[in-house]
Amino acid sequence: MPGGRSLLLAGVVAALAATAGAAWLHEMRPRSIMQPADQTVSARTEKPQPPALTADEERFATALWAVHREATRLAVAMSFAGISYQTEDRDARAFARRIEPMAKFFHDAEIQVRAMSAPPSMSTTQEHYVNAMALYANAAGEMLKFTEDGNSQRLGDAHRMDVLASEDMLRVGEVLWPGQYKPH
Amino acid sequence: MRKRALRIHLFVWTAAMAVLACLFGAPAQAQQPVCSAWLIESSRFMNVPFGAFMPDRAFVPGSTKPENNIPTVDLPVNVGVIKCGNELILYDTGWKQQDYLKMTGSDHWAPLPDQLKVLGFNAADVTKVVIGHAHWDHAGQLSDLPNAVLYVQREELKAIEWALNYPEPHIRAINSDPGGCNRTPACGYMPLTIEEVYGKVLKGKAVIVDGEMEILPGVRIHPAFRAHTAGSQLLEVPTSIGKLVFGSDAFSSYEGIRDWMTANVQQTDTVQQFLAYEKCYKITGGYNNCVAAHEPLSYTDKYPLTKNSWVALNGGRMAEITLAPGEKSRKP
Repeated sequence: MPGGRSLLLAGVVAALAATAGAAWLHEMRPRSIMQPADQTVSARTEKPQPPALTADEERFATALWAVHREATRLAVAMSFAGISYQTEDRDARAFARRIEPMAKFFHDAEIQVRAMSAPPSMSTTQEHYVNAMALYANAAGEMLKFTEDGNSQRLGDAHRMDVLASEDMLRVGEVLWPGQYKPH
Repeated sequence: MRKRALRIHLFVWTAAMAVLACLFGAPAQAQQPVCSAWLIESSRFMNVPFGAFMPDRAFVPGSTKPENNIPTVDLPVNVGVIKCGNELILYDTGWKQQDYLKMTGSDHWAPLPDQLKVLGFNAADVTKVVIGHAHWDHAGQLSDLPNAVLYVQREELKAIEWALNYPEPHIRAINSDPGGCNRTPACGYMPLTIEEVYGKVLKGKAVIVDGEMEILPGVRIHPAFRAHTAGSQLLEVPTSIGKLVFGSDAFSSYEGIRDWMTANVQQTDTVQQFLAYEKCYKITGGYNNCVAAHEPLSYTDKYPLTKNSWVALNGGRMAEITLAPGEKSRKP
């Protein structure tokens, strides 16, 4: 049975080749640095991926981004207005001049985002964002009142509102723009 | 005769100076504290492309060179805990993850007060916080340290504000596109982080630093402007194993300092980063006592300073770097 023997030999050779190939691929596969501590404590689990947005949700995210981009910048600018007032000039008029356009922006943004048409799945997200804009607007309002009456309690209240607002914005970002803040 | 009198005069002066030096110099030296130091892993960024962290270590498929055959690395976010006498100092404070910021690709996060408790410290006992820079993953959780005085460079604050007011929208943006920004000048300074910095200022618990400053005898802030961000700063700490220099992201990588490779290029002038490396070599006498913020080899034998390590909350790691005489070990 020379034909049968050849067939068997070919099969064995093919199996050996497949095993060697699999072993080679396993060894050559790129891998990340694995630390001893990782090996003992952290069996790597796949990170949860955010669900893909539907077309309607994408439209909402795109519309909101236009507001978000400027809101983020002005939120930081508002903190800086406070820092500058406290650490540099203590000039209430200059402080007011810096806050006034921010107060208007956040007031308008609250109205604008509330009026956006969001799919039902995004209603909580929209609510968080509206809430954030309202908090920022109120915080700016408190800062402006401080420039009139000098009651520093108002600055403390404004700070607490700003912290809550920035947390709300992060919650929205986590849904719509995950990874907007990268390792730095 | 006059020569002899002059010689005696000189001798008397020299002797007097020596006596003064003995009287005042020695006690002054003795007053300089020797500090203890630990390292806390606030969180870990997982599977970051090596080339995004260190351009010279970019993965080249099929390469057998050790510099180019690792595709991804896990980057710890390290926080320094320094105890000098009764003073408890943090260098950097990590970041806060609650029901948001879970999609940053990070793992092993735990609240800083809980991590401090593992070391036997109370967050309310932290007296000073020196932030290497004000990026979101290094200057968070400040409100959880109610009694700590914050030290931040004026240069850092000025540069962020400059960027925020720049006419070109991409340059002034905190987040220039939905995928996030990388290296533009205002990138990485999120509203929550800067609001917490403002909170410290508002409560009168912030020191705006201009350049170099000694915050305790022998514990010294050094400016490292543009070594990562505009107002980056280092912290020199005297310990029983010699001086340590904490570098935040000016010293992102221990291997980078050792091999003279740039790392974590954000708002970085690479020349200034190398000068910051040099500063550590000069202060400590080498590279081994430079404390890096994101070294992938942290908490292993390959980064010797951090090898005395253990696993703590949520899989995050800690290391006992050095103990002052009489200080008890906090390693379980």
